[in-house]
Amino acid sequence: MEFRTVSTLDEALAELDERGGDTAVLAGGTDFTIQYLRGELRPASVLHIERVEQLKSVTNGSGLRLGALVTHRQLSTDAQVVRHASAVAEAAATVGGWQTMAVGTVGGNVCNASPAADVVPALLVHEAEAVLASKQGGERRVPLDRFILGRRRVDRRPTELLASLALAAPPPRTGDAYVKVGRRGAMEIAIVGLAARLTFDESGVVRDARLAVGSMASTAVRLPTAESALVGTSLDSGALDEAGRLLLEAVNPIDDVRGSAAYRRAVAPRVLARAAELCRQRALAGA
Amino acid sequence: MQLTLTINGRDHQTDVPVGSTLLQVLRDELRLTGTKEACVEGECGACTVLLDGNPLDSCIYLAHAAAGRSVTTVEGLVRSDGVLSDLQQAFLECGGVQCGFCTPGLLVTLSAFLDSGAEPTREAVTRSIVGNLCRCTGYSQVVDAVQLAAERRAAGR
Amino acid sequence: MTVIGTAVVRTDGEAKVRGDALYTVDLEVAGQLHGRLLRSPVPAGVIRYLDTTAARALPGVRAVLTAADAPAVRAGWLVKDQVLFASDRIRFEGEPIAAVAADTVEEAQAAVDAIVLEIEELPAVCDLEAALDAGAPLIHPDWERYETDLPPFPRRGNLACEMVSDPPGVDEAFARADFVVEGEYRADRQYQAYLEPKSTVAVYEDGRFIVHTGSQYPFNVRDRVAQFLDVRPSAVRIVGHHIGGGFGAKLDAALEPYAALLARATRRPVRLANTRAEDLLTCPSRENAIVRIRSAVTKTGEIIGRDVVCYMDNGAYCGEMPLMPGLPLHMAGANYRVGPTRVISRLVYTNTTPTGAFRGVGGTYCCFAVERHMDDIADRLGVDRREFRLRHLFEDGDRLLNGQPLDDAGILREAFDAVEERAPWKTLAAPNGRYRGVGLAAATWLVNPMPASVTLRLNDDGTVGLITAANDNGSGAVHTGLVQILADEFGVSPTDVIVNAPDTDLAGYDAGSQGSRTTHVVGRATQEAAANLKRAIADVAATLLEAAPDDIEIRSGGAHVRGVPSRVVSLSEIGRASKATTGTLTGSGNYASPLPEFNPACASGLLFPCLWTPSYHVHLAEVEVDPVTGNVHVLRYVVAQEVGRAINPVAVAGQIQGGVAQGLGYTLFENLRIEDGRYVERTLENYRLPVAVDIPPVEAIVLEHAFAEGPHGARGVAEPPILPVAAAIGNAVSHAIGQPITKIPITPEDVLAALASPGRNGSRR
Repeated sequence: MEFRTVSTLDEALAELDERGGDTAVLAGGTDFTIQYLRGELRPASVLHIERVEQLKSVTNGSGLRLGALVTHRQLSTDAQVVRHASAVAEAAATVGGWQTMAVGTVGGNVCNASPAADVVPALLVHEAEAVLASKQGGERRVPLDRFILGRRRVDRRPTELLASLALAAPPPRTGDAYVKVGRRGAMEIAIVGLAARLTFDESGVVRDARLAVGSMASTAVRLPTAESALVGTSLDSGALDEAGRLLLEAVNPIDDVRGSAAYRRAVAPRVLARAAELCRQRALAGA
Repeated sequence: MQLTLTINGRDHQTDVPVGSTLLQVLRDELRLTGTKEACVEGECGACTVLLDGNPLDSCIYLAHAAAGRSVTTVEGLVRSDGVLSDLQQAFLECGGVQCGFCTPGLLVTLSAFLDSGAEPTREAVTRSIVGNLCRCTGYSQVVDAVQLAAERRAAGR
Repeated sequence: MTVIGTAVVRTDGEAKVRGDALYTVDLEVAGQLHGRLLRSPVPAGVIRYLDTTAARALPGVRAVLTAADAPAVRAGWLVKDQVLFASDRIRFEGEPIAAVAADTVEEAQAAVDAIVLEIEELPAVCDLEAALDAGAPLIHPDWERYETDLPPFPRRGNLACEMVSDPPGVDEAFARADFVVEGEYRADRQYQAYLEPKSTVAVYEDGRFIVHTGSQYPFNVRDRVAQFLDVRPSAVRIVGHHIGGGFGAKLDAALEPYAALLARATRRPVRLANTRAEDLLTCPSRENAIVRIRSAVTKTGEIIGRDVVCYMDNGAYCGEMPLMPGLPLHMAGANYRVGPTRVISRLVYTNTTPTGAFRGVGGTYCCFAVERHMDDIADRLGVDRREFRLRHLFEDGDRLLNGQPLDDAGILREAFDAVEERAPWKTLAAPNGRYRGVGLAAATWLVNPMPASVTLRLNDDGTVGLITAANDNGSGAVHTGLVQILADEFGVSPTDVIVNAPDTDLAGYDAGSQGSRTTHVVGRATQEAAANLKRAIADVAATLLEAAPDDIEIRSGGAHVRGVPSRVVSLSEIGRASKATTGTLTGSGNYASPLPEFNPACASGLLFPCLWTPSYHVHLAEVEVDPVTGNVHVLRYVVAQEVGRAINPVAVAGQIQGGVAQGLGYTLFENLRIEDGRYVERTLENYRLPVAVDIPPVEAIVLEHAFAEGPHGARGVAEPPILPVAAAIGNAVSHAIGQPITKIPITPEDVLAALASPGRNGSRR
């Protein structure tokens, strides 16, 4: 196995252009290295991009732009992320311990495409787009729900690098939240991880709803039917029940070692209601 | 593949295969056995070291990714005169050490916590060490130790 | 000023915080090879084909051993039912089939992978009750031929041990009862999950085996290695090292006999170390169990009789498990007067990993069952749960079901009172309009009585050398407890007590760090040894001081002539003088706890006859349940614990906090489920140990009623804090949700299911 460390984006893209085929891109490596040690990954070469400074910042223009190498620790504490995408900060704060958060990156989390990735549902409700760069093709933008194709499968071409994630700017009176179900108070892989972003009008009626849930299907998924059920309502229990019911229609949870499908089904609608309520509180607090 | 690391302030050159973890280099190549291996999946934190001041699990960090950077292990936590750090001393006094196998990792993480200047509330301290499993102490005396060390630091300033 | 009762810093602490302390996994012996084991991938089956030819031919491989290369013997702690390698029948997943030694771990693993193995898989026997059915396949068809040093006890087929106590009056009590309350309580296994996975390095030299290992019980490992290798015990020397946690799982041999066999075969030192996954898979975890209790109750609220049946999972081999069926007898009728009680406990062979000791052996789930049952009865009667306990509470002189009198059982009431003072029950138990609940549980527990031997020597620099096979498992019982006892005896600094690492060639027999025994039992032996060393010192000092030996007093680091303050000679002077005259001064001492009064005819199969050195415990837990997820949050945890004397208050607090934390893990987080003979949870990602944010600081109230036989009155401290945790939390959660919890661990799924069940008792809130 070859190992190359690059320190600029141009170097990284040049390397990928030259030998993209069987190259694994390594950032913090918290997922990669475990899979490598288990023998699940055996790439011919590793491109270590962790030191590319251009990919480490959070900027805010017409929406947040998260560099692919922004760590979970950065995400969880960055003032702009906390302010404009608290669901993302909340989700990042639950990704393992300090040791994982300090090196694990948002780009890595997205590209690892675990069905249980915490940050992904939060990014989905913020309409994130994967911004891909390549030496020949320039920039390509793919909505995140289309970028993630399945468990550990993403729409990244061998010569491309995930450079950043572009989030939509939330309208006024918007609140967002990420609610995670796990056994312990930390160090949990989500049994259910649900993100919500709700926008309210002045009378407290939901004008826009985005919901996404992880660990309930082979990838994290948006929940358009459940979203529709909330729009135009004041989050009364009937609406929440209906959204919960539609959530369950849209997912296909399995029994695994962390939790049964029955538990996931029992808990997900309740978590939806909890997340929606948090969105309301935050939207009103911000209004 | 050649690898240069600065470990506890000293440069080390070694030649290890790509795919070696930082922990393997520390323990097997350099025989710095203070850093412990206990799960090799990033769950327990016994292998925690600082890389340029940030704690990480050296069992799941590739050694070559750390090339040229500065690594601090438990052996590097003592003061430059060889005396125990305030945190190490407080661990002894407060009962933060029992079997001692998780202790190096805890000390490394908590050194970073103290250096961050964060308020050492019980909530903040316990939150900082969720990635460090301890099976003996139930964590309480570890928190006591951090608070004692922080108090002494504050008083010393 | 004495150091007894003070927070002396543990004398191995500095090495541990510096990272200098060498554990077994850190050892490297010159020329060592690396071993790996081929373990069975299935829980039950028959080996049809085993070929090591290809493995032997691989580079770096020095030996590939199978049953054909090992002595044809059976070994075992209590029953010789174990073989070193499976050769025909596979009895559990992870059972060793072959062992490889090679120049590197990778080469050893490659050789393991190259062994050709064909197994005809058979259905795994793992249902505890079905395993005892007449037609059930036998795990050990040859069970009758297995030897044991124990007196005969009831066992047959898959029933590894049966304990029956059937006193007169039980059926009469049920006939007389106004109603009967019944309950079934279940518990899964619990993995000790010490941070240091098991490892060993074995050296073969002069026909003897030198085995390095971080064992809790070096002499037991010595005996097992000797049995498996079919050599006399003194042909094995166990050298102990710092232990990265054990909690009962490092009492018996694990990797040591394989490393010894490989070392002999290769004439090279051989290191073996478990991966975490191997360690979890093969560790003698706390047994899963089923406890059924029926109580005969009068309408005035008196329990007048009880009937208990307990099934315990032995796994594939016995280890020390045949002792365990005695525990339900001691737990079923302790703390509270419950009338004549019948107890039947059955230890059952299954196609699963052999179970073993874990802090609070056999007690945690019995305490859970009995204390949950007490709440169930109180709820049925509609009376206050605390009042109900106090009404039945033991007093001084009440007897356990084995007839053992507890002269100081009145301490239980003090413990209830102490908890009440800290956390008033009426306030906590009142309806709160939320999913909050409170639970109480009590326990009476023992100190392991087995023998200790200690030798002390006065070194020529005046320090005191402590030679013992008692190992400090992390509790501090050696590095604070024994050290403080010696520092007190001789009036020296704790740092002037030099603790020798356990070495079975040097130290006398010691029964290991188990059952809270080190401070109490080894402490007493240490005091005996100190008295003998003092006599030897006094003889030398008498000459130096020109006084009669009887007039010499050893204190403050020197020998003093009584009543003449100016006539004193320091221990270092005496040490130097002895080097030139008498030779090194030594003193040895032995101690084992005496057998308490009890009725040996109370039961059959009672291999664990009584509760030596009893201590008393009351725990209170306050929890809040998240009705959305079913998660349980522990808001508050109060412990009142009788310790006799806290030799080191910080160490005692650490044992209580740590024991409760393990209990909370057992109760709320640590699933170790078995499906078709296999563990479902196989890594630390899925086997969830509690993390720092899950454990509240325990409010510990330490009661100190000196126990006459203990050193400075000390009883034992380490085991009991785990005992009542599942019970107290189970009672609190049941209170919070208005539904009885009957299973450990209490999962969010269980809680949510209980909340959804129609019979919920809403009146609680």
